[in-house]
Amino acid sequence: MTTTTAAVMADSLTKAYRGGTAVDGITLRIEPGEVFGILGTNGAGKTTTVEMIAGLRRPDSGEVRIFGLDPHRDRGAVRQILGVQLQQAYMHHALSVDELIDLYRSFYPDPRPAADLRALVGLEDQRRVRFEKLSGGQQQRLSIALALVGRPRLVILDELTTGLDPHARRRMWSTLEGLRKEDVTIVLVSHAMDEVERLCDRVALIDAGRVVALDTPAGLAAQGGADSLEDAFVTLTGRELEIDG
Amino acid sequence: MTTATRSPAPQHRPGPDAWLTLTVSEAKMVSRDTAGLIVPLGLPLLILIMSAAAAGSEVLVGTHTALEVFVLPLVITLVIATIGIVNMPSFLAYYRRSGILRRLAVTPASPSMVLVAQGVVSVLQALLGLVLALTVALVFFGANPPERIAAAIGVFLLATLAMYALGMVVASIAPTPNSAVAIGLVLFFALGALGGLFGGMAALPDFLSGIAPWLPFGASVEALGAVWVGADVPAENLLSLAATSVLGTAVAAALFRWE
Repeated sequence: MTTTTAAVMADSLTKAYRGGTAVDGITLRIEPGEVFGILGTNGAGKTTTVEMIAGLRRPDSGEVRIFGLDPHRDRGAVRQILGVQLQQAYMHHALSVDELIDLYRSFYPDPRPAADLRALVGLEDQRRVRFEKLSGGQQQRLSIALALVGRPRLVILDELTTGLDPHARRRMWSTLEGLRKEDVTIVLVSHAMDEVERLCDRVALIDAGRVVALDTPAGLAAQGGADSLEDAFVTLTGRELEIDG
Repeated sequence: MTTATRSPAPQHRPGPDAWLTLTVSEAKMVSRDTAGLIVPLGLPLLILIMSAAAAGSEVLVGTHTALEVFVLPLVITLVIATIGIVNMPSFLAYYRRSGILRRLAVTPASPSMVLVAQGVVSVLQALLGLVLALTVALVFFGANPPERIAAAIGVFLLATLAMYALGMVVASIAPTPNSAVAIGLVLFFALGALGGLFGGMAALPDFLSGIAPWLPFGASVEALGAVWVGADVPAENLLSLAATSVLGTAVAAALFRWE
């Protein structure tokens, strides 16, 4: 018996594109305050899954609830409690860091102060720099700051640290640790093993549109009969994780 | 079993300050896109200057010159058509292509906010073009203001609405920024050619000149020309502009996609 509402309830999600099935019956229950990893190779269906959870795509079948709310029917309410960093999303390219932060702050009733957001992602020195002039890593950091503007209860981060240098990665990780302390539920899509291993309470291993294993990072390693999550991944999916981040 | 501990749904909608901030943001985007301002503001001015000297001395109706009857209505229509049909859709298509609309779709901002903000900024741009063209014509070429000022403002607003509605249709069906510009330009030149952009509606073959006043570009030129000389606006002009506005808005609203 469950007495609390799950942060994310995804029930038997499927999604097919012209090229084939991207998601083939994924069911996940993510608890409030959890840092939940979704790990898989490119094309495994990770992004499609979280896009359905965020309400950006409609599943062919299956249901999503975010804190009990339907992302489509209760769109307005869900948008208030959800923060999303998309894998490839660009901002108004001619606007500066400050202008973009102000724009996104205006959408929410009780936004985080702009100075806090800048400090959170280390963009204090780029306040007047236009988005198009930021480096890839800086754009990524701004994108994460904008996902946190509205004090979301659930944050979906798709490829959090791809393209970041090691220093920026560590900084981002400590930002996430901070969010965890605020009881924010975090869904972290990744193919970076060390990141998932370090940050996540539980991890779903996704392969070919299905959940092939779901456990704590240590539990997954044990399931795969291996010392590390990385070895377990190969055992459980029969695939190598490509390193391109 | 799940119990009904459903979180209360905070039903906050972005308020007036969000609309204002988004509109100011769009204005900054448009004003920082210098190249995009040249065609809607520069081209009509060029046509005006090239033809004003000759047209300003050619009396057509009563005391009214060809500058007032034809050139100024054409130039004003040109301003709103280039901005509405070509510029604005290419902006929105770029937003969609680049993921900006997708990103906004996961915030409390609604599709209508983006469309309205971009629309407001385009109208301001059109007003700038209008003031520019009128100032040059009145100050340097001795043109007179329209005899029926209130009617002229009404026709201008209606024509603007019609062009923007067409632009919204282009924006909602174009998959890429390039195709938005292509579709917009084809539509613009087709309507423009039929509306007298290249030498007057009278120069068109009979079967085409008959439909020109029914199409938005020709209707706008004809209606503005009519109010300039104090005449009644032909009913087909008003019908055309009103129908384009209503149909265009409905089609755009039905087809608009975030990605």
